[in-house]
Amino acid sequence: MQAQRLLRSGLATLCRHAITRAPQRAFASRPPFVPPVQQIGGGSSLPRWQGERVMEDDLEEFFEEDDEAAIALEDEEVTRAMEEAADAFAMQEQEEGIEGEVEGSEALEESEEQEEEEDDEDEEFEFEEDPTLTGKQPPTSPNFYSGRAAYYDQLAQIESAVAHTRSALRMLQLLPLPAFARQSLPTRPAIWKTAKEMGDDLGIPMTSGRYRTLTRLLVQMNEYLVIATAAGCDELAERAKHLLNLFESSTKQANLTRGRKKVINVDHLGRSYTFGKRKTSTARVWMVPVATPSEKLDVIDLEMIDSLDEAEALMTSQPERFHQPQLVPQTAILINNIPLGEYFPIPADRERAVRPLKIAGMFSAYNIFSLVRGGGTTGQSGALAHGISKGLLVHNPDLGTVLRRTKLLRRDPRMVERKKTGKAKARKGYTWVKR
Amino acid sequence: MSSSRLARALPRVPRLARPLSTEEPPPLRSLDDWSRLQLKRAEVGTLIDIFSKYGSNRTPQNTYKLRDAIRRPVPNATTSSLLAAGAHFGHATSRMNPNFMPYAYGVRAGSTIIDLDHTVPLLRRAANLVRAVAFAGGQILFVGTRPDLRQIVKSAAGRIGKQGYYISDRWIPGTLTNTAELYSPEVANETLATPDLVILLNPLKNITCIRECALTHVPTIAIVDSDTDPRLVMYPIPANDESPQTAEIVAGILSIAGREGLALRMEEEVIADENEQEEMDEEFWDAVEEAQFEEEQASST
Repeated sequence: MQAQRLLRSGLATLCRHAITRAPQRAFASRPPFVPPVQQIGGGSSLPRWQGERVMEDDLEEFFEEDDEAAIALEDEEVTRAMEEAADAFAMQEQEEGIEGEVEGSEALEESEEQEEEEDDEDEEFEFEEDPTLTGKQPPTSPNFYSGRAAYYDQLAQIESAVAHTRSALRMLQLLPLPAFARQSLPTRPAIWKTAKEMGDDLGIPMTSGRYRTLTRLLVQMNEYLVIATAAGCDELAERAKHLLNLFESSTKQANLTRGRKKVINVDHLGRSYTFGKRKTSTARVWMVPVATPSEKLDVIDLEMIDSLDEAEALMTSQPERFHQPQLVPQTAILINNIPLGEYFPIPADRERAVRPLKIAGMFSAYNIFSLVRGGGTTGQSGALAHGISKGLLVHNPDLGTVLRRTKLLRRDPRMVERKKTGKAKARKGYTWVKR
Repeated sequence: MSSSRLARALPRVPRLARPLSTEEPPPLRSLDDWSRLQLKRAEVGTLIDIFSKYGSNRTPQNTYKLRDAIRRPVPNATTSSLLAAGAHFGHATSRMNPNFMPYAYGVRAGSTIIDLDHTVPLLRRAANLVRAVAFAGGQILFVGTRPDLRQIVKSAAGRIGKQGYYISDRWIPGTLTNTAELYSPEVANETLATPDLVILLNPLKNITCIRECALTHVPTIAIVDSDTDPRLVMYPIPANDESPQTAEIVAGILSIAGREGLALRMEEEVIADENEQEEMDEEFWDAVEEAQFEEEQASST
């Protein structure tokens, strides 16, 4: 009740200052409240109920009559009253300009009015779903009026996550962490997305100040993640990591391993892909170990097979069983789809290209396919050698020492020197003339 | 450099003949080490808890704290709680706005003292207004553009549920008067982008906001200090605008009133739904009775 009184006083203040933008719309769907003293002909059929809320059940008692005729008469009266009420309502609504459904008999109206007068403190105005009656929806985000709702929503979310994590760690006696414990924590380098990337994610232009605020919170979260992981709080660490993954750069691994040797792996078919360079030539090299044929195949003697059909079927389906297995493995080296011998007619180039295989003693162990571009014969053969030695290293890491000692893993830095002014070539001078 | 000078200036601390046995604890390596640390700390905490009932009976909940952290807000303010928060401290007398005179109690040490006997009823009036606006389904916007007001304004808006909004960074000029430019066309057309009540915790820094509210007929409540003209806003609350504790108390009271209004609205919603349901039921049963009646009539004739 006190709340209702306070409510009324609040509304009174509003009305006094005439704040409502459309004053005739705000509480106007109900007919204006008429004080009980001024009601005309209001209580003839029903007695006035003082200080009690009129309930539907109480009303029923009045209409409880066994006489059917009386009930029928009542029904007639009710219907007539309903029609009259409908007319009255329609008139009223026309005046006020509101559309609405017509409902209720005279008796019901009276009971409503009585309800009103007893409970005017409760029902001074009709409950309106849409108080402004414009059909527009109020904004959903609490940060709508800041103009950058997406950013502030995200910020609020991160802040609450940080606060929850902090309180959880405090409860687990992990915060504040003493100095000796802090020293034994591992480091987790964090590389966040750039300001532009984050701005694109959120759909707003990200200024440096906003970026700084966000990253400060993320760094704090990263610290809590490290503590949680070190102490074995897996669930907390999982949640923190999940949040941080949204903001971590996709090139994080690349950035962290920049400058360090990239590890090349063999793919799912056993091929290695490496890259070699010399002078202005480049060679893309694929290497795959040569498959050794099994020696356990039974060689079929044609004369032993009786039927011709069987022989034919066997020949087509398993041709390899009709020959003695070759124990010498064959290897193929293709450069731009051309065999080695054809592509490098000069023996010196050929030797240069396969030198890594010779040194490793793996001459016939690998099938090599390569695409070479740029430069001349020397450059291309040198690039191929570089690529082959890198590929050998992928397949046999133990060869590292040998290849490094023979400088085969080194990209030969010698390039054609530029021509200088005043000289015929890079170094060659013009013929000296005495005068 | 300065530290060495300081070290030389201070008298030498006499060293103990036998050093204390508090040596540096070993670093933590395994998960067991971490668990042991946690357990040890929990043990110490439990020990403290056990023995604290034999000492003072003040607990963290019932000690008086004068700290900046957000406490549980109260629904009503008293002069003493406002005094404790320092709400009566105004600015320098030389900076007092002459229109603030009715709310000034006096002068002390060159600064105006605000009369809290005026503050309390004005605060109550503002709270009633917030409750009524929340009940009627209006949008309530809290504006507090200082970093220490951020959390206050956020939690105040949170108490009012989906009708509460807040600004903690900067009021962008044109938020109310230039919605078509500020927001995308579909947002401007489909969203009701005007609040029904604006509550400012630092009005002097947000004059643009007050002006825009006046232009778009939005009622305003604000904490006015002695250097502010109280006529700027519709419902001034004379108090210290620089104290976060005061802002916390005021925002807390207003948001709790808003929460009450929201709760009353929910009640009304429920009652309206129930009435609707009852009406629908009545219609249904009336229709059934009519049908029966017609059947009887048809069978009798």
